Amino acid sequence: MKTLRLMGVGGVIAYRALFNWTTPGMFVGTLLVGPLFQLLFFAYLGRQLQVADDRFYIVGNAVLTASLACVFGGTMAVANERRYGTLGHVLLSPRSRTAIFWGRVIPYAGNGLLIAVVTLGVGAALLGLRIPFGALPGLVLAMAAGSLACGFFGLTLGALGLRFRDVWVVSNVSVALLLLLTGVNVPASGLPGWMVTVGHYLPITHAASAARQLAAGDGLTAAAPALGQELLVGAGYAVAAVALLKIFEGESRRRASLDAL
Amino acid sequence: MSLLRVLAVGTLMHVKQLSRSPFEMAIALVVPIVQATLAVYLFRSGGEQHRLLEAAVGAGVMGIWSSVLFGSGGAIQSQRWLGTLEMIMLAPRRPVLVILPITIATGLTGIYALLATLIWGRFLYGIRLDFAHPVAFVVAAVVCVVALGMFGLLLAATFVLMRNANALANTLEYPVWLVSGMLVPITVLPSWTGPIAAVLPTTWGARALREATSGGPVWPSVGVCLGISVLCLALGGLALTYVERRARAAATLALA
Repeated sequence: MKTLRLMGVGGVIAYRALFNWTTPGMFVGTLLVGPLFQLLFFAYLGRQLQVADDRFYIVGNAVLTASLACVFGGTMAVANERRYGTLGHVLLSPRSRTAIFWGRVIPYAGNGLLIAVVTLGVGAALLGLRIPFGALPGLVLAMAAGSLACGFFGLTLGALGLRFRDVWVVSNVSVALLLLLTGVNVPASGLPGWMVTVGHYLPITHAASAARQLAAGDGLTAAAPALGQELLVGAGYAVAAVALLKIFEGESRRRASLDAL
Repeated sequence: MSLLRVLAVGTLMHVKQLSRSPFEMAIALVVPIVQATLAVYLFRSGGEQHRLLEAAVGAGVMGIWSSVLFGSGGAIQSQRWLGTLEMIMLAPRRPVLVILPITIATGLTGIYALLATLIWGRFLYGIRLDFAHPVAFVVAAVVCVVALGMFGLLLAATFVLMRNANALANTLEYPVWLVSGMLVPITVLPSWTGPIAAVLPTTWGARALREATSGGPVWPSVGVCLGISVLCLALGGLALTYVERRARAAATLALA
């Protein structure tokens, strides 16, 4: 119970502290309007090229829009502690590092879920996509799985920030690569085999696939394998993030370079 | 002559300054290539192999716009953060002459995106660089960079008046890609986007490059692009003068 409290309350406090530069205007512009136009861009491009139908682009891109908040948020959860000089205080805490950092991801994943839901709703309304009412709970589940996996992916990148000077380069490039490798915009059949393989180990790929199945009315049973794979990918990044944080923390202590930017 | 020298030396200096940022360079190097790859696979999947060169050029123009949007939009703010805004505003020149080189520099940095996507497409995907009008393509590329630099000046002057300019910059990347027809033809968009597209220099710059690539009347598009850009320059100059006077009167030049 104490651990859950640490994850929940600690995560929310850290979110407020590290994300406090934002204003409602910035939040809406960057995290709601921007992703919506991303969806419209690819939906119209897909229509023109007739690569796939509207459902493919609207649902896939709605799931992907969570990546912006989650990947950058997860990265921020570690990198901004270092930037603001508070990482040392966090690492001095006698509580479990794993619980502290995993807890950081939860608010960002919630943020990502909100963005994905809003983008899907507005995108579907604007482009006239009908989604079966019964598919909505499953869709929210798929988007939540994708957001959580993206958050842990971001945390892994943030852990790299303990070792490398400019982790934002990695985050920006990663977000751009997710556009290409997750099969959200180009169907897997149109990508080279190695890109598809890489995509299988990235967040969003399986969540987008599950969400498309659900939006097509296939039901939760049909989408369950893809959902399970997404959760597995997320769990993999969660473990990788903790392992990297442990390794780089030890190294930073040995080299006295914890706060060196 | 002195005017041209100010612009040329200023642009060179700001290009050098931008090239010293590992973050800017890494993003400028990698992201356009990812976008070009995405465009190539999308066009291939859609059975449009004959339009791959057009896709690569479109992805390159998208890169130029991103560079101008984020570079020029934040031009004044970044000078403020660097502590150099007062010095450049103290220069015995009009504000437009000291800020314009910054925005043209961001356009020049962005032209790398165009070159990178073409080279990437040629060597990795075997796209033949068979431009319908090669000379017009070079002219259109230069005009596009200068025009977007002037448009960037207007962005720089107006963004500085807004508290949430960063949010606006983040929001404007995809809409302009979409409405300007960089990859998606304007004809497939809702008709109400037409008038918006018509007043954006990005639309005419992208159109000129596309016509130089696949054939079409390049020069009218180049002319309209230049015309709109000169208008942006004039409006940007007026806005900058207003911003500078207001900041001097209120003593807020260095304040965010």
